[in-house]
Amino acid sequence: MTGTIRPLPETLVNRIAAGEVVERPASAVKELVENAIDAGASRVDVTLSHGGKALIAVVDDGRGMGPDDLALAVERHCTSKLADDADLTDIRTLGFRGEALPSIGSVARLAITSRPPGADQAWRIAVEAGRVGAVEPAAHPPGTRVEVRDLFHATPARLKFLKADRTEQNHAADTIKRLAMAHPEVAFSLSDGTRTLLKAPALTGGLLDDPHAARRERLGAVLGREFATNCVTVDVDREGARLTGHAGLPTFHKATAQDQFLFVNGRPVRDRLLHGAIRGAYQDFLARDRHPVVALYLDLDPAAVDVNVHPAKTEVRFRDAALVRGLIVSGIRHALAGAGHRASTTVAAGLLGRARPEGAEDHPAPRLALGGSWRGPARPSSGALETARAWQAPPAGDTNGPGFAEASARVPDAATPSPEPQPEPDPDPADTPLGRARAQVHTTYILAETTDGLVIVDQHAAHERLVYERMKAALADGGIARQGLLLPEVVELDEAAAARLLTRADELATLGLVIEGFGPGAVVVREVPALLGQVDAAGLVRDLADELAEWGQTLALKDRMADVCGTMACHGSVRAGRRLNEAEMNALLRQMEATPHSGQCNHGRPTYVELRLADIERLFGRR
Amino acid sequence: MQLTIERSALLKSLGHIQSVVERRNTIPILSNVKLDARDGALGLNATDMDLEIAESVGSDIAKAGASTAPAHTLYDIVRKLPDGAQVELSLDGEGNHLVLRSGRSRFNLACLPVDEFPAMSAGSYTHSFSVSAADLRGMIDRTRFAISTEETRYYLNGIHLHATTSDGVPVLRAVATDGHRLARVEVPLPDGAAGMPGIIVPRKTVAELRKLIDETGMDVSVSLSDSKIRFAFDDCVMVSKLIDGTFPDYERVIPTDNDKVLEIDAATLGKAVDRVSAISAEKSRAVKMAVEKGQVTLSANSPDAGSAVEEIEASYDASPIEIGFNSRYLLDILGQVEGDAVRLVMADASAPTVIRDVADGSAIYVLMPMRV
Repeated sequence: MTGTIRPLPETLVNRIAAGEVVERPASAVKELVENAIDAGASRVDVTLSHGGKALIAVVDDGRGMGPDDLALAVERHCTSKLADDADLTDIRTLGFRGEALPSIGSVARLAITSRPPGADQAWRIAVEAGRVGAVEPAAHPPGTRVEVRDLFHATPARLKFLKADRTEQNHAADTIKRLAMAHPEVAFSLSDGTRTLLKAPALTGGLLDDPHAARRERLGAVLGREFATNCVTVDVDREGARLTGHAGLPTFHKATAQDQFLFVNGRPVRDRLLHGAIRGAYQDFLARDRHPVVALYLDLDPAAVDVNVHPAKTEVRFRDAALVRGLIVSGIRHALAGAGHRASTTVAAGLLGRARPEGAEDHPAPRLALGGSWRGPARPSSGALETARAWQAPPAGDTNGPGFAEASARVPDAATPSPEPQPEPDPDPADTPLGRARAQVHTTYILAETTDGLVIVDQHAAHERLVYERMKAALADGGIARQGLLLPEVVELDEAAAARLLTRADELATLGLVIEGFGPGAVVVREVPALLGQVDAAGLVRDLADELAEWGQTLALKDRMADVCGTMACHGSVRAGRRLNEAEMNALLRQMEATPHSGQCNHGRPTYVELRLADIERLFGRR
Repeated sequence: MQLTIERSALLKSLGHIQSVVERRNTIPILSNVKLDARDGALGLNATDMDLEIAESVGSDIAKAGASTAPAHTLYDIVRKLPDGAQVELSLDGEGNHLVLRSGRSRFNLACLPVDEFPAMSAGSYTHSFSVSAADLRGMIDRTRFAISTEETRYYLNGIHLHATTSDGVPVLRAVATDGHRLARVEVPLPDGAAGMPGIIVPRKTVAELRKLIDETGMDVSVSLSDSKIRFAFDDCVMVSKLIDGTFPDYERVIPTDNDKVLEIDAATLGKAVDRVSAISAEKSRAVKMAVEKGQVTLSANSPDAGSAVEEIEASYDASPIEIGFNSRYLLDILGQVEGDAVRLVMADASAPTVIRDVADGSAIYVLMPMRV
């Protein structure tokens, strides 16, 4: 009797592997585009037909392959990306497993045409459902063209599970977007054979001198122009890890967390750690159900991160996850603090849209004339005022001629009836980005005139935020007082959750919550933050445990304290309906300029909006 | 139903009744007071399904009958009638409206059928005793401040009453705690209370009971089972459900081996704590006590407003100690001290402190320090 266990045929092995590597057309696109980038391409053009089900063609101008390489490239576990004795802990390319081409070849009709730049002719190899053809001469410019036809025709079961063409195409486009965001130096294009769906030119020359500007430009091309004008630059490093990238202003938020991207050593990854850290960083700027837009690039020693977790490499493991989390939170916080009181221009744009007169001609939607070029890169390390000034600098070539500037400086003294017997002299406009208070309307809003526009401040929201920030600073300075519990509360949890909580016990203690282990699967609460008064300690601890599991963050505690502070701030601040005199209004504006995060209330709503003169002129059809 | 009653008598009864009725109700009949006229008296009855007050007030009944009317509205009307007015209550032809006449005023109030009015099941009581109004008042006053308002530990939302012995003497004991502080008061065990189950009287019942005690100087007869308690006054009866839970083993948290004994004038300490804590705007106004031989130094700090220090003479012989308290909690307890001096018995800055009125051994308070 023969044995029942036998080795599987090669083609079947490849198909099984393909099930993991190539899940849908988008994953094939990802593998091929990553190959092109690893080959040093400066432009990558992708063509999809029927969402990639019928054809995926990826053309690059990289270093190409000769005939011998071509034959090996379609064999399993053959790659140029790892040296013989290379260490899997030191991976500097996007791919390395040598699985992509054979996997694709086993489930589709694959054809590769390639010509190294120095060679005088191109070669072509075809693989059809796992059967490798011969290498033949062909015609092709330097670079490589990979064509994948009839994906999954060899595995009809998988074919059935594909979604509509449009859905698959969107997934593929999403993949290319992520790669495009990571590599601004490479030009990308995506077409469906008839239309160009995405076009991102390579950013070379002067722009590359400032990598942040190049990246912002690319992010603008991929995520939309609004992001590029409403973000701050993140740039921090700590213990060999460097975090760069761009974080959206808190007033520029979305309903989903989809537009949050993390690139680890140039590789787009999806990681829960990122979302938790971002929630932590934006904690008291945004309502719980709103999400910021963030693109972060983490560069660290390849040995400190394991990318070999998943065949598609979308998940990674960090050796020191706490360091990465801390880096993200502090990096974003720092950058946002540098943004001072900035609120996003989308707020003003929305306002303009609403302000259009009835029956006006159908002009193109009003947009703020904020090119990416005139504003210098934000320097997060500089003080709030300085950054704010850079942001407020008038666009070059604006109609703001010198004559107008003079006029606007004269107007106030003549036109404003000032109740003060001795009106204080106008401060230097360069120091006061929020301008000089001109009037209070509806005893709720402050109108202020700036050098090149008009600012409308919601007095209650603005003052509430100022009081809140002051309270938080006081809390941080004075330490958090803890109330001991006469009846310590025992909270039953599952064992893993209890263990997770206890590893963070020191951090919780600094926030005023003292817990100790109480046998396996339970913790006992000894002290709670006095600020919370009579608090449901068990509920709090359970929330914290859930959050630790989900996000790796302990936000629930900070959230509750922020709630208390928020309520106290609300009661302790100037309400709408209170009449303010000129001195009070100006004092509020100056405080807003000096206080970090004063551009939005605790829920991401703006505390002020700014209308530039150019926008006002456009409203009246002067421009 | 038709009757005439003096305004002030009706007002007094309605005053007791209406505070039991919740302002907002999902069940309409619970907004109403039940009026039952018979045998020379008007019976009034209101409930929120957990607490019921029944009261009887003498009146001139022309025609017996019963109905229900909105309690808050009726109370409001009677309150606004002139002093000394006579009020005439009757039902209109179909019995849909209660007609209230007084002087030249006339009100028609919508009624709900009396048979919809929920009756708290009578049930039987296992223990009955009578306790003096003063004792009951003392127990409530000196414990109710410590009742928890946090709803998840519902078994702390009331006063725990039980019979026990203290130094061999049988006592009736009242205990309340919110997890931060605890108050325990005892009175000699009344006849008939021996062997009673340990019960928890809900906060709302405590508040209503306290109001009724103020109007009587007589003994209050108490009947209870393990699910209900009944307080009977002269012509008013209050029946309440009890909190169905187990009060924690509070004896464990009352320290017995604290050795640092501070005796200090209660009023002086209270006023000083109040003054010093004025500096901090926070909700949890922390005050620090530095205790050394013969003296207590109170201090409070606020990063915003500044700092405050006050020194008080005291009698203290143990080693110096620094300990912080929530000033509100400390004031709550000092407010219960009727004698001149208060005694604080401490162990260290993180262990519970025992506080007693030097002149009155029947009450003991435990306060957990605050870490600042």
